[in-house]
Amino acid sequence: MPLKLPEADTTIIQDKKNIVQDLFKITKNIIHSDEEIKPYETDGLSVYRQKPIAVVLPETTEQVSKILKYCHNKKIKVVPRGAGTGLSGGSIPLADCILMGMGKFNKILETDFDNRCVVAQPCVANLAITQAVQHRDFYYAPDPSSQLACSIGGNVAENSGGVHSLKYGTTTNNLMGVEMVLMDGTVLKLGGKHLDSEGYDFLGLVTGSEGLLGVVTEVTVRILKKPESVRAVLIGFDSIEDSGNCVADIIAKGIVPAGMEIMDKPLIIATDNYAKAGYPRDVEALLIVELDGTTSEVDTLIDKVLDIAKMNKASYNRASNSDEERMRFWKGRKAAFTACGVLAPDYICMDGSIPRNKLADVLSYISKLSKKYKLDVANCFHAGDGNLHPLIMFDSNDPVEMKKAEDFGADILKYCVKVGGVLSGEHGIGVEKRELMCEMFNDNDIQQQLNIKNAFDSENLLNPGKVFPILHRCAEGGRMHIHKGKDKFPNLPRF
Amino acid sequence: MPDIFYPKTEQDVSDFIFDNYNKSNPIEIVGHASKKIGRLIQSSQTLSLSSMSGILEYFPEELYIKVLPGTSLSEIETTLKQKNQFFGFEPNDLGYLYDGKSNSGSIGGVVSCNLSGPGRFKNGALRDHVLGFKSVNGSGGKVKSGGTVVKNVTGYDLSKIISGAYGTLCAITEINLKVSPLPEFEETFLVNDIDYAQAIEIFRIALDSSLEISGACFFPAANASFLTLNDVKKDTSVLGLRIQGPKASVIERMQSLNKMFKDKATSMLDTYQTSIFWREIKNFEGYANSKEFVCKVSLPITNMVNFLKFFEKTNYKYFLDWGGNIAWCSLENQSDLDKMKIFCLKHGGHLTVLKANDNFRKSEEFLTNSDSNIKILSKKLKESFDPKGILNPNKMYAGI
Repeated sequence: MPLKLPEADTTIIQDKKNIVQDLFKITKNIIHSDEEIKPYETDGLSVYRQKPIAVVLPETTEQVSKILKYCHNKKIKVVPRGAGTGLSGGSIPLADCILMGMGKFNKILETDFDNRCVVAQPCVANLAITQAVQHRDFYYAPDPSSQLACSIGGNVAENSGGVHSLKYGTTTNNLMGVEMVLMDGTVLKLGGKHLDSEGYDFLGLVTGSEGLLGVVTEVTVRILKKPESVRAVLIGFDSIEDSGNCVADIIAKGIVPAGMEIMDKPLIIATDNYAKAGYPRDVEALLIVELDGTTSEVDTLIDKVLDIAKMNKASYNRASNSDEERMRFWKGRKAAFTACGVLAPDYICMDGSIPRNKLADVLSYISKLSKKYKLDVANCFHAGDGNLHPLIMFDSNDPVEMKKAEDFGADILKYCVKVGGVLSGEHGIGVEKRELMCEMFNDNDIQQQLNIKNAFDSENLLNPGKVFPILHRCAEGGRMHIHKGKDKFPNLPRF
Repeated sequence: MPDIFYPKTEQDVSDFIFDNYNKSNPIEIVGHASKKIGRLIQSSQTLSLSSMSGILEYFPEELYIKVLPGTSLSEIETTLKQKNQFFGFEPNDLGYLYDGKSNSGSIGGVVSCNLSGPGRFKNGALRDHVLGFKSVNGSGGKVKSGGTVVKNVTGYDLSKIISGAYGTLCAITEINLKVSPLPEFEETFLVNDIDYAQAIEIFRIALDSSLEISGACFFPAANASFLTLNDVKKDTSVLGLRIQGPKASVIERMQSLNKMFKDKATSMLDTYQTSIFWREIKNFEGYANSKEFVCKVSLPITNMVNFLKFFEKTNYKYFLDWGGNIAWCSLENQSDLDKMKIFCLKHGGHLTVLKANDNFRKSEEFLTNSDSNIKILSKKLKESFDPKGILNPNKMYAGI
């Protein structure tokens, strides 16, 4: 599948031998044969592939700094990579880049219960942080579905969330500090074990910046005490509208559940077939609500939620009475992606965020698109925080079908923006959605973001070709802001 | 006196800044001008966003509110309360600190200072509640970022960078903020007759439990008169733990605290008293009319005991908040303030001066400047928004 990336500098590619020799002086961990490089040519968005010049696997911050400084001086592009599980192609290499794999930064450096935080290297898996503190009943709250494999550094790059974001926030709300290296080799410490750093909130800016501003070499995250009680309810509805109204009513009543998930009928059937979760198969929408807190609080709230469900014409409900039962409720939802993988050779998982009250509207639009493109789609929805994941099924061996799937996905995201939502809730823009940025932002907005990129990386060498559109200017379509006939930034390069 | 411009629309703001950008005129951006925080500015122009006021959208079930920057915080909070909602970061009313009476100012000013109240350690800081915004940068360009949804990874998260930027990057023209349901019920558990080391230990035990404490403060005996409630003793130290939620759960958790600290001198405040107790803390009412420096000391909890020990003989007042993560201090001597800054730098924290005399504000830094690389990056960031450095110049750091 061809992918438009920034034009490769052939002199850099031709100089591969010397570059590898130079980098070998900094670290012996260099991979440069075609065969060994192959596993690094793509990430979680595996329809796109590209081999870099070489892969370096540094082991210390000092090595990261030296490598970046060397590449900065030689004007060599660098693409950072954590576990490579990202779904938007943020770690896909360029033909003339050095891929910086952070795989050797895989240790938890400190579990500090007194300050309620964990200091970890960036390639520690998200779940490993919880595993390191669970013996004292602590945990790390953001729980993306890939938490077994995805790295905490990658979570910082994508501001990863999970099913509990409504109550516990995403990575940005749980991150206390990072050590990071800028493209010119400068090492920065942002935040730490205290709350609220002063000055500009660089920590907040770097979180979700998709590896464009610096390479994270150490992460400090806050850990929370596990709640005393956690229970979930399964609620079935005869229409998507009713499920959406139920979610709105739960929130309007002042209840903040730990998680709220909606699945549509195609996904209920697919996941139940795959995971045997025991879901009702005669409902149009299934809502999972999870509540946590003290035992009496959770029991009271479960009753309230069931009352609200009844008022919203729920046709089915079941509350968990044990942790095993609760885990069974989640079993199907957590197998959603795998279940769709069984239904079709390929699927694309979209990631728009929308206002909760637009759910029925957006799902009905997706259903129309499914008929238009003649491709099946199943939907899951982090209803608590408005994050929608339509799974479009197709066969990538058929280039026409592949193109249709991409267009289908783009149409969904455009509609998400139209109803007041955004292009990405947690997967990031990467290469996948960069051309759609103009749906949300005009030329001024993007130019401001490029100016910030320039402040961190003046030569645009760190992960170029990601996040920002490269095929056309957002000015096209007449949205550019020309003030009194003058371009505000006549000297800045356009894209 | 500088000219004051009162824009009505974002376009007015854009035209005004663009004009001054061409003339390289420095501009002071103000909301209700209620906060005397940051370095003093010399400017020929003032942009007052107080004229851009009003609530644009409020959907309680979507948990967000969209407002113009000059809207008064008190108006927004009253509107939220009518729907049983509030800002989880519990914004401070700094009016007491500067004028001795309530004046919470505009929402634009609140966002620009990124200060948060007692619930910060549980609910997040102000910057965690800004979902999106519109603004005009230093060359007059209209720039927006974010949206109204909680989960959003669509370009850089500029909502974070404008929170606490003291108006040095752009003039905010619209803000979307996350709102939260008001807790149904709340009570406060008090512990008396303890020293600061015992207080930190009580914080540790309480916050390591599953009781979901949402406020944790400590006043030493010397500063107990900060609090005015009759049911709070004034001749001894006071530690407060706030519990909020459904009534049955609050009562149950208060009983757990009683068991946990049964060997201590304890008492409790009911819902009505609880709201007054935490309001006085949130708004620094006990420091009203003070002529002293007031500052925020932020340290890792484990270093807070060392801080209090190190400055035991210093003549200053303090109280701990956020479960011991922070000390709000009031002191007379600048030399003591400088020593505290150095201590914070050495021990992984920082100090922010909230109140100081004009001489200090003219010549001294109110933030802790630690890392020269961060200073360089701050300057570059400022230039990326404001290439000629005309928006609130020198307000945050000298030269930025």
